[in-house]
Amino acid sequence: MQLTIDKRSVVARKGEYLLEVAQRNGIEIPALCHHPAVEPWGGCRLCMVEITHPDWKGWTGLVTACLYPVQDGLIVSTDTKKVHQVRAGVLDLLLARCPGSSLIQNLARQYGIEETSFTPRKAPDLCILCGLCIRICEKIGASAISSIGRGVEKLVSVPYETVATAACVGCLSCANICPTGAIAFSESEHCRTIWSRNFELVRCEECKAVIGTPEQLEHFARRSGLDRSYFTKCDSCRNREAAARFVRVTF
Amino acid sequence: MHLTSPEALKRLKSQLVRQRKENKSVITVCAGTGCVACGCAAVSAAFREALKENHLEEKVEIKTTGCHGFCERGPLVVMRPEGIFYQRVKPADAKQIVEKTIKQGKVIEKLLYRDPQTKQLLTYEKDIPFYNKQERLIFGMNGHMDPTSIQDYITLGGYQALGRVLVSVHPDEVIEEVKKSGLRGRGGGGFSTGRKWASCRQAEGEPKYIICNADEGDPGAFMDRSLLEGNPHAVVEGMIIGAYAIGSHDGYVYVRNEYPLAVKNLNIALAAAREYGLLGADILGSGFSFDITVSRGGGAFVCGESTALMASLEGKIGEPRAKYIHTVECGLWEKPSTLNNVETWANVPTIIEKGADWYRKIGTENSKGTKVFALTGKVNNTGLVEVPMGIPLREIIFDIGGGILDGRAFKAVQTGGPSGGCLPESALNLPVDFDTLTEAGSMMGSGGLIVMDDRTCMVDVAKYFIHFLLEESCGKCVPCREGLRQLHEMLEEISRGEGGVGTLDGIERLCSVMEQGSLCALGRSAPNPVMSTLRYFRDEYLAHLEAHRCPAGVCKALINYSVIEENCTGCVVCKRACPAEAITGEKNQVHKINSEICTRCGICLAVCKFDAILVE
Amino acid sequence: MKQLFVTPNRCTACRNCEVACSFVHTSDPTVLAFPRVRAYAISENTNTVNLCLQCDDAACKKSCPVEALVWNAKTGALEVDLGRCIRCLMCTIACPFGNIHFDKRTNEIAKCDLCQGDPACAKFCPTLALEYAEKPSPDPKPGEVKPLPPIPWMLFTGKQSR
Ligand SMILES: Cc1cc2nc3c(=O)[nH]c(=O)nc-3n(C[C@H](O)[C@H](O)[C@H](O)COP(=O)(O)O)c2cc1C
Ligand code: SF4
Ligand code: FES
Repeated sequence: MQLTIDKRSVVARKGEYLLEVAQRNGIEIPALCHHPAVEPWGGCRLCMVEITHPDWKGWTGLVTACLYPVQDGLIVSTDTKKVHQVRAGVLDLLLARCPGSSLIQNLARQYGIEETSFTPRKAPDLCILCGLCIRICEKIGASAISSIGRGVEKLVSVPYETVATAACVGCLSCANICPTGAIAFSESEHCRTIWSRNFELVRCEECKAVIGTPEQLEHFARRSGLDRSYFTKCDSCRNREAAARFVRVTF
Repeated sequence: MHLTSPEALKRLKSQLVRQRKENKSVITVCAGTGCVACGCAAVSAAFREALKENHLEEKVEIKTTGCHGFCERGPLVVMRPEGIFYQRVKPADAKQIVEKTIKQGKVIEKLLYRDPQTKQLLTYEKDIPFYNKQERLIFGMNGHMDPTSIQDYITLGGYQALGRVLVSVHPDEVIEEVKKSGLRGRGGGGFSTGRKWASCRQAEGEPKYIICNADEGDPGAFMDRSLLEGNPHAVVEGMIIGAYAIGSHDGYVYVRNEYPLAVKNLNIALAAAREYGLLGADILGSGFSFDITVSRGGGAFVCGESTALMASLEGKIGEPRAKYIHTVECGLWEKPSTLNNVETWANVPTIIEKGADWYRKIGTENSKGTKVFALTGKVNNTGLVEVPMGIPLREIIFDIGGGILDGRAFKAVQTGGPSGGCLPESALNLPVDFDTLTEAGSMMGSGGLIVMDDRTCMVDVAKYFIHFLLEESCGKCVPCREGLRQLHEMLEEISRGEGGVGTLDGIERLCSVMEQGSLCALGRSAPNPVMSTLRYFRDEYLAHLEAHRCPAGVCKALINYSVIEENCTGCVVCKRACPAEAITGEKNQVHKINSEICTRCGICLAVCKFDAILVE
Repeated sequence: MKQLFVTPNRCTACRNCEVACSFVHTSDPTVLAFPRVRAYAISENTNTVNLCLQCDDAACKKSCPVEALVWNAKTGALEVDLGRCIRCLMCTIACPFGNIHFDKRTNEIAKCDLCQGDPACAKFCPTLALEYAEKPSPDPKPGEVKPLPPIPWMLFTGKQSR
């Protein structure tokens, strides 16, 4: 089907969402809670766009691009005054929530906000509650973290806000996907620490480079159906070995 | 008993009506939650005792019924068939009622209701203004039946609409009838019920689900509870008819966890309906099957929102999701689902029974039928009232509600629950219907009506509701979660007299972001309490901001308590009552309040008998 | 469909392929990309390259929790959808040939994508040890002289020939 985004005609398939189509066509829409690896969620409200349709008798609406299903003939504007107002409002609020996040600072600056017009949160952290960490953790099949509480009290943590349970495999996917770097972790010679839990480290059998935690490798082996012996060495060592084997086979 | 055809149901009804002896005396004791709290169980027991003593158990029946609505005056007892209305009945009165009223046909004056306006004693239920301005389409049955008795419901004509529909009406015709009746959802949104059903019927996907929303989270609202407690079969019958029309075989009732009696009575009703062949497989021998599961809610206000409710039913966290694809197409477990409010479902049997044309006569152009309101606040008669749509607010508050408590002046009425709005005196003549209330900056919501007198500060009211929403926001989306945090902060500032007039512009800007940007209707309507008070009571905001005054004398940072010397008799009552020990003064001497220590708790004002405490 | 063929006995481990690969996968010239192909001198007379076999039943694809490895139907290459990838790095551990890497400098997974159907490694291999063709060409006859391909940094000057 055919739709128009910012006066450009673009093609889309049924079942796609506006944001995907826009991104594929190089049309930029800011989005904080969206990641192609997980289901769209609609929490940050930054990807607001204004839509209308020739059949709608002039009616227009503000919708989140990440969740709005494409529709033939839809006319989408990604930068109207209304869109700008809502996005600026959202960023202003987020800046009050996370004054220390450079990501939010930069985005806010793009919308003309240098400093929040609201009261900054006391003892702010970097979490904007975009929910990406929770969704990715669920997606990889661990579901070790979730949101706790609701409303302004809401936070992301492990059950009872203590130490990660056995569900956590220490893969760092949550920390990696976090757009603001709010999830702390550390790695020393022998130990990786995330969500207050210490993990042993598995090293490449050859070169001793870190390749993960025992729980992580176990989990990914089980999840992929591959034998655990696949997960024992780093890519460089494997690569060199395989080359040698390759030569042996061909000669 | 298992009924296998609508004819069998009809026969059962005639039999039950015949059995119910003509003119047999019935003592109906209200056992709604309000009356239970006032001790109605002891009253019923006392009646049973008194009847036994007088050997009248055979001749007189005691019926414990659901809520009659006039909770303010409970425990309520109505003597039928005469309709004599006794209020605030104590167990000790039972003996006298049996001896005088039942045996001698005499009315006991001290238990009658006195009209506060005309000062007249009123004998009959039908003469009481609280009732006679109402139109009790849905609630009428409550006072006449025992909610745990399916036979009572059938005697009053229950399940006949279902019986007729199953054999002689095509599902499409049922939907047409509901469409034509103009019924709109009573849960808040006011969406056309018939249109919702039609979309769900047409939607692709099997199975289809029917859901009854009994989450009722609005503070002060209890009509859904009273319906489920007092007349559960009406809701069940409505759902079965809906299921037949839509083509669904699975139904859910999502009941708020805090409603144990509703759950109990509903479960009794469901079991009875199954036993009678009115629910389950092959209903009334028609070949149509449908059953209902009761699910107890998660106890969050936001779980009343349709998508959050469905998530919660699925066992997930009760958070809303976007509805760009409607729940009638993709709802519970991603299947087509129809969600309606308790009261909406309860309207269905009446519409089918009496016909859409009859139903359309009640109400206004675009809002048909009646609406049940929970009337609370500073009004004489609090309770549940069912009125035809279009009735002016003034009639509800002053005629049915009996005016403002303690004869004070009316200031505002808050309609529509926490995210509704506050309407001033000038709006009192507006007809109550979906569209008029929305235009006036408030909404119908689920039907809360909170009356406020002149001692209410509108900034404080706005702050109260914003605080409620702040605690109930699910926190998923930024505008609602962070917006409410900031909005509450700004209102706190205003109530301390801080901030400039610019604060109001800031509030309006923020409200617009929340309205347009929030994910679900909670956040989108959350600004209502603030916007409506700003619209009608802007002066009061300005008084806080510019003059640093709280005209209603509520906002603690802006008021001072002092003693009016001319009035003070030196009785030391206030001095003794003050928890902060801020009052000094010897007996018979004028007292003084130390403003430094005073915590503005208001106790002195409440205890002073000489009007000697000044708040300004 | 064309394929990449490796003929180890022609390989001199000159590593032109690595340089070419790195160059074509570099978007910022100050940060060179991790080469997807590696050349090794195994012993004095044996050299070879190792690069992705585009396995049908690829372990990397199986190990990916977010389906970020997708087939390109046109080229037959298994490509990384970098937007989808969550950098869990499990693919790099799972590949039994070590042919999918994590490039720390760009924070990206580096994997052979057959250069969208025009692989640079083959283009710059001076000895036909790497060929992109329907089938490998025969060894040159003694005395036969083939023209040498340009050196890979020609990629940056834009002067490409062959
Ligand atoms: C925050 C929020 C809370 C709600 N709570 C309730 C509720 O307690 N009961 C209810 O029937 N509807 C509630 N609703 C409305 C429902 O989402 C839905 O519109 C309604 O149940 C549909 O039924 P109706 O068409 O019969 O009104 C709520 C909506 C929102 C946004
Ligand atoms: S508007 Fe409020 S309640 Fe609704 S999804 Fe957003 S945060 Fe949750
Ligand atoms: S990206 Fe759409 S709401 Fe966050």
